[in-house]
Order: sequence, then C-alpha cells, then structure tokens
Amino acid sequence: MANFDQLSAREIAAGVANGDFTATEVARAALDAVEARDGEVKAFLQVSADLALAAAEATDKARAAGEKLGPLAGVPVAFKDNMHLVGTRTTCASRMLENYESTFTATCVQRMLDAGATPVGKTNMDEFAFGSSTESSAFHPTANPWDTGRVPGGSSGGSAAAVAAGEVTVSLGSDTGGSIRQPASLCGVVGMKPTYGAVSRYGVVAFGSSLDQVGPFGRSVEDVALAMNALTAGGRDPWDSTSQPVDVDFLAHLNDPIEGRRVGVVPALMEAAGLTEEVRDAVNAAGRALQDQGAELVEVDLPNIASAIAAYYVIAPCEAFSNLARFDGVRYGYQEQGCATLAEQTSLSRAHGFGEEAKRRQMLGAYLLSSGTYDTYYYPAQQVRTLITADYARAYEQCDVILMPAAPRTAFKFGEMSDPTQMYASDLFTISNNIVGNGGVSVPLGLGATSGLPVSAQLQGPAFADATLLTFARAIERSNSADGGSGAPVAPSFAGKGGELA
Amino acid sequence: MKKLAEVLRDWEAVIGLEVHTELTTLETKMFCNCRLSHDDEPNTNVCPVCLGMPGALPVPNEKAIESIVMAGLATNCEIMRHSMFYRKHYFYPDMAKNFQTTQGPVAFCMHGHLDLEVSGAGAKERPDDTVEKDADGGYVAPIRILRIHMEEDAAKMVHVGGEEGRITAATESLIDYNRCGTPLIELVTEPDLRTPEEARLFMEKLRQTFLTLGISDCSLESGSMRCDGNISLRRRGTTEFGTKTEMKNINSFKSLHDALEYEICRQAEVLEEGGIVYQETRHWEPSRRRTVVMRVKETADDYRLFPDPDLAPFDLTDEFIDRCRARIPELPDAKRDRYMSDFGLKRADAAQLAGDPAVAAFFEETLSVAGEKDVETVAKVMVNLVPSYDALTPAQVASLSALLAEDAITFAQAREVLDAVNGTSEDPAAYVDAHGMRQSTDEGALGAIVDEVLARCTDQVQQYRDGNKKVLGFLVGQCMKAAKGSGNPKAFNKMLAERLES
Repeated sequence: MANFDQLSAREIAAGVANGDFTATEVARAALDAVEARDGEVKAFLQVSADLALAAAEATDKARAAGEKLGPLAGVPVAFKDNMHLVGTRTTCASRMLENYESTFTATCVQRMLDAGATPVGKTNMDEFAFGSSTESSAFHPTANPWDTGRVPGGSSGGSAAAVAAGEVTVSLGSDTGGSIRQPASLCGVVGMKPTYGAVSRYGVVAFGSSLDQVGPFGRSVEDVALAMNALTAGGRDPWDSTSQPVDVDFLAHLNDPIEGRRVGVVPALMEAAGLTEEVRDAVNAAGRALQDQGAELVEVDLPNIASAIAAYYVIAPCEAFSNLARFDGVRYGYQEQGCATLAEQTSLSRAHGFGEEAKRRQMLGAYLLSSGTYDTYYYPAQQVRTLITADYARAYEQCDVILMPAAPRTAFKFGEMSDPTQMYASDLFTISNNIVGNGGVSVPLGLGATSGLPVSAQLQGPAFADATLLTFARAIERSNSADGGSGAPVAPSFAGKGGELA
Repeated sequence: MKKLAEVLRDWEAVIGLEVHTELTTLETKMFCNCRLSHDDEPNTNVCPVCLGMPGALPVPNEKAIESIVMAGLATNCEIMRHSMFYRKHYFYPDMAKNFQTTQGPVAFCMHGHLDLEVSGAGAKERPDDTVEKDADGGYVAPIRILRIHMEEDAAKMVHVGGEEGRITAATESLIDYNRCGTPLIELVTEPDLRTPEEARLFMEKLRQTFLTLGISDCSLESGSMRCDGNISLRRRGTTEFGTKTEMKNINSFKSLHDALEYEICRQAEVLEEGGIVYQETRHWEPSRRRTVVMRVKETADDYRLFPDPDLAPFDLTDEFIDRCRARIPELPDAKRDRYMSDFGLKRADAAQLAGDPAVAAFFEETLSVAGEKDVETVAKVMVNLVPSYDALTPAQVASLSALLAEDAITFAQAREVLDAVNGTSEDPAAYVDAHGMRQSTDEGALGAIVDEVLARCTDQVQQYRDGNKKVLGFLVGQCMKAAKGSGNPKAFNKMLAERLES
C-alpha cells in the first residue's frame, strides 16, 4: 500500500470513510513516520501517541456505527506548542512552561478534533513565538527538511517542518508577524494566516493579542482550505470576544476562475533591499502565471509600508510584555526555590525561566510602555497602523489580492543571523498584514534557481477575503507544480521514510 | 491637637473620594462565567480566565456595563459612547495576570455631580461663607464627579504570621481568587468636599443611590463598597492645593468622618508647627482613633497603561443607554419630593423614608394596606418607631398606625405593642383588645368622668377661666386617673376644653 505522506487530507478522509484503510492505520503510519524522521528533523516537542490512537479508534468506531465522519477524519495533524490540548503539555518551547499541563483545549485545536483529525503531537517553535528561525526554542532547534543544516523559519518552524517532512498531513501554527507564512516559505509548504478574528485565539498562549492569528499548514491549497473549513465551522467563538463569524466554504471557491480579476503588485516591494534575485524572479513568474489564467496585473502603492517593521516592533513587544507578565512562578510554571521574598522569587523565576529573546522583547515592551516613553512610541505606532490600514484599503480598491514574496530569501543556516534586528528584517513582507489584520497565504513556487531551496509567493487580501486568497493560491499552485498542480512534494530526503500504510 | 471647628476657621480642607463598589447583584464575574460569591470555600469559583492561565481570554459581562451606565445616569454623568478597557500593570499575586483590566482616560461615565443637602449640626462644620446658608444654617453643596470607570477586583490575600495582616513578616500568604475578577466600579470625585460631614453625606447619598439602582449590596462592613479619602489643607483664602495624603481602611460612615477629622487636625498641627505633610498613604485605626503611615509615595507608580488588545473598544448605542435609563427606578431625591408633595410629609421625614429603598418599599406597602388617609401617622411610625424593630410586617405597621390615628392607643403604648408583636404574626389591634389596652373615645362614657373631675377641681377650673390654660394638663391627668388609663387623653383634652370654654 501507499505511504501516507503521498496522500492529501481529502484523500485520507475519503479513504477512511470508504474503508480503504482505517484511521488507526493512518495514525500508526504517521507515528511510524515521526519515529523514522523526527530524530533528524526535530519538529516535535511531544508526540501524543496515546491521544492519536484514541482519536483514530474513536473515528473507526464512529464509522463502524455508521456515523457520518468529519471532513478531516483520520487526518494526522500537529499543533504548535502554544496551543492547549488536554493530555499534553503546552510549553511554548520555554523553560518557564516546561512542565505545564494544558488545563483546557484551545478552540482551534478542538475544532480540528471535531472534524475528525488525529492529534499526533506538539511542535517546536521559537520561545513564546519570538523569532523567525525556531532557534530560540529552549529545548532544541528544528531542521529544515530540505537542508538539515538550515533553519525551518519561525516561529512556527516545527509545524512547517513536520508537514514538509511528511510527518503529518496538516498542522496549525500562529502568525504574529509572519510566523506561519515565513516558515511555510522556507519549508516549501502552503501556510495561511487568516484575517484577524477569523480563527479563535482562545487557548493559544498569547504573544501579541492584536496581531496573533492561528492558521494551517498543508502541502496543498486544498488541504489548507479543508483545515480553514474546520477552523471556522461553528461560527464565532464566544470565548474570544475578538473572534468573528466566517460563513464561507473555502473548498467551494478553490477553482473559481480568476479571469478578469486583478492582482496588485507593489513595485517598491519587488525592489526591496535584501530580496534575493531568485525569489524576485519566482514571484514575477507567478504573476505571469496568473496573467496566463486571465488575471490582470496592476501596480499598487503602499506608501507607508516601510514603517511597518518599526510600528510592529513597538506594538508587539508592548503586548508581549503585558501578556507574559503572568508568568511569575507563583501559580504555575518555573519557580525559583529558596527565595527570601516574593520580589526575589518573581524576578529570579523570570530571569531563569525565560530565554534571551523572550527577555529582550519584554524589556523592550516594559520600556516602551513606561510613562514619558509611551507617547513617543506606542501612540505613533498605532497612528502608523491606521496609515497602513488606509494604504491597503486604497490598494484594494484597485485589485482583489496583492502578490509579493513571503520571505526575502530562502532558508538560512543555523546561527547565520546572529543580529536580532537582521532577523526582524526577515519579516519585511509579512508584518504589515498583521499590523492591518488582513489575511495572507504563502504558496510554494518550487525550488530557487540559485539555492535549490524552496521559494514561495505570498498573496495578501482584504479582511475576510480569505477564500479569495485561496482561489488565487490555487491558481498559482495549478500552474507551478511539476506534477499537474496537486501540491508541494514532501522533502525528498524524508519522503517514504517510515509511514507505510500497513 | 486643636479641635476640628478651630482648625477649619483658619484652614480649608480639600477632600476628594475614590469609591469602589462591587456589583454584587450580578451573577457572574466581569470577564468570565464564574459565580460571584462572598462566603464560598476559597478558590472554588475560579476558571482559567480569572486565574490568568495562559491562553485564556476575557469576555466582558454586558450586565456589568448596564450597571455602570445606570450608575452614571443616576449621578448625572455623561455616558461616553466610545470607551475602552486598558491594562494596568503591577506585579502582585492578588492579580493573577499581573495586570488589572480597567479603563483609560475615557471611562464609561464622565463628569457627573451630586448635590448634597447639609443641615443640622453637620452644617456647622463649614464655617466659611462660600456657600449660601439657609435660616437653619443648612446649605446645598454641589459635588462634581470626575468619572466612574469599570474594572475588575483583585483576589483576597490573607497574610499569616508576623505583624498582623501585613505581608512584610508573614510566614505564609494565602490567596483566595474567588474575588478576583468581580466587577467593580470606581467613582472618583473632584476635590470639592470641604468637611468630614460632607464626605460622609456624599458616601451615604451614593450608597442610597446604588442601593436604589439595585447594582450592589453596598456593604462598607464586608467591603463591597470601599472608600479612600484624599485630603489636603490650604490656608483660607488661598487657591493652591496643599500636599495630600490618602486615607485607607475606612469601613463605616463614622470611620470616614472620624478619619478625615483626625487627618485634618493632624495636618493642621504639622503645618502650624512649620512641618511638611508628606504625600503618603495612611491607615485609619478605628480603635485608637488615629491614622498611621502605610507607605510613602516618593514617585508616581508606573502602571504602563495601554489599551487591552483582547477587548474591542465599546461603542454604546443610544438604544442601549435608553434601555439602561428605563431600568432606573425612582431615585431617593425624587421619591423624597414626591412624599412631600403627595403626602405632605416634612422634608426630613420624607428624606429618611426615601433614602433607603427597603424602607421606602416597606413604607409604600404599609400605605397600600393602611390607606392614604393615615399617611401622616404611618410616616410618624415609620420614622420614630419602626427602625427599632427588625421583624415587623407592613400589615402590622398599618394596623398599629390605624390604632394611633383613631386615638385608640398612645405613642407610649405603641412601643409596648410593637415589642410584643415584633417577629410574630399577631395583629396589633387584636393584641390591644386582648390586653384591654384600647382607650375609649366614647363621649358618653368619658363625659361622666369629665363632669366629675370638673365638679371636684373647682380651683383649677377657676385658674383656667382666669387665663392659665396650662392647667388643662392637670385636669386631663385627673381624668386619665379616674378612667384608670382606658380613656384617651386627646378625647379628654378636647371635651375638657369644650366644657371650659362654653
């Protein structure tokens, strides 16, 4: 029989529903693949074999009882380790929460489970999602499946790598400044950051509450659409007051024609410093492919976008400082022993529980919010936010979506980016969308002409036009894939290693 | 130390209050569905949200917003259509998230006022002529309200061992998170209060108003209504503010008055001796009748306030505000005026009955039984007798009032009757009859006694006719004696006067 890593989510769900194989067989295959591949990839922080097998068994029993199965029945899924799942620890890749057991299950995780998915485990990330390489994980780095000497991107590097290495079919990540789209680009998979509010944040450990958004990774646009359907099924989440209802079938619009529709291109972004030629060429080629399918390319301007990174690195650290204040070692988490006073216990628990980048961001936030400084930075940053929002609104009067790179370059080597501000700049193309709250999706364009590593395009759209984004993403996928447009391949060094459907 | 009256001749006290009121009549907390409780087992009404667990999100309690809007309308505030929640940061375990969710520069309610009627002995505390005094020395003081904002209460901490109640030398500190997240409204006055009596009256009036609205049980004793007083002195005739101190641990109206009185006198002594008043928080010790320093504020605390990104800004609609307005019952001042105009009650009596909604309801229920013809007697009974009893029914009070109105018993006898029927279901009229207390007003029966007394007391009759009307009292007494207490003194009075004048 086939290797499960060659099957799409739809094929697995259909196979389980038809009785071609059982959910348990798929779960065992996925666990086997993780066993065979993850020693090298290190995408996982925990493998939840018991939960996976129990969920698969429940799916099989439901089928035996003649019940209708969910659209993700038996599909192996991994969750970024900032999402609560009862029965697993939620560590945020931090010593601070090394032994923290989830006390409830996040809405996004629950909705995937409700759709029939099999929870394979929790994936590695930059500590508390602070980073773009997954190197700031307190536990271990994750390798890029396309070149294990390189980073998978971040902060959702584990979730991207697990899908790229074929350890799971779909995974969830969170994107605060590009943390889904950038690792998707570096690992050659599809990664979507939906519009802010489309997916509940309840049960996802917050980094920047006004920026964070959960979204799926898959090797095909269709798999991502299936996951989006699952994540938005059931309407808005009453437990997240910023969530909104999304009443659209993402699958239904995948093959909508794009003829006569307009794709915006921002010339200034295509000339941005740091953007490599192979990425620019590939994105331009994607634009031509969309033209070939009848879309019209139009030039649009986002005049204030150069200020996005600056605004982001004010707003995000402020929110991070506030959100991470609760980790004081009093009720849970790392607690320094033998302290004489509460103040000593709080400061030493935080000094020793957090890594360097987590401390840097919180110190920065504490400074930026302090009286006297607030007016100089926080307030203007919010004004910039308003300006960029207006820029996008004007641009979308002229086009349906905007095409641009997802990351300025392909995967870099471990330790290559040692200067934090250089690392921050790698979010150049993704950050503005978080500032504004719109959706964006990273679509693989094959391997770069120079590096031989995955290259991606990014599509951005207006708020709650996420289904439209997937329509255009599918159009790129259709034209780019060598195998007739069925999606991105599993990284060759890992494809077929373990994971046989017995 | 000098006495208050002496101090206030030379110094003007500038007093502002901060009043915290827990919305105890709501069922659930401010941002989660945990039950509000005062005496449940510690840490039983808690959840991930109010415990500040990672990944939990706040969802605002709409009923609490209704309550604060009602409070604002009842205190003549402007209801702000657009306002939002902020985060106020400080590291202390009573606030699980290490920030308190509160409001920023714009609160739900801004710029209100309450007019205080100061009369009697209390009015004498204010010696200056900046207020217009009436013939009895009373005056009206308009007190501006700066704002009323919505926030969440902190957990309750109990420090065990060491210095009583202080964390400094405690061996253990226990935290009860049941209170954490209780909806709290904080009212801040402008520094318009000038005497301890005005401060006391303001609190009393606020309590009456909030009780009438039904938004809280307003118990100073149990801490559901808490008051901090800010106070400074300045020389009469000057306008610049002096250095203020903040008074805490005020848990009764008397404490509020006495703490302010003490603090005014203390500050005056310091200043008159050439000393300096330090900006500090002081703790009122009721048993020793003094304030002591809690902590000195050398620099302003930096709470790093910024808008809470988990809670969307509020845009209150006119419909919502109208709905809140429609739910406001008749307020004490309006009720007082109605009692005066409809029933002809004296201002002081009407105010006393209208002040406490429970008393007013009792009064009106009694009236509905007694009928409005006896309203004067009912009011008299309510004001003078009922407050001494705890278990009377409106029917009993109505019955007793009828007995008094028809002169069947005296006021002195009324007390005896109420002592007997309080807490029972016995009808005062039945009790009076059973114990032979009913006084006769029958002119035939009493006439014989009157004639006998007039015939016997010829000296007194002569004195009366010579103009000494006071002698009538003696004659009434003689009649009462002859009737062995069963004759009504008013009836005797009337009949004696008639016969003597004829």
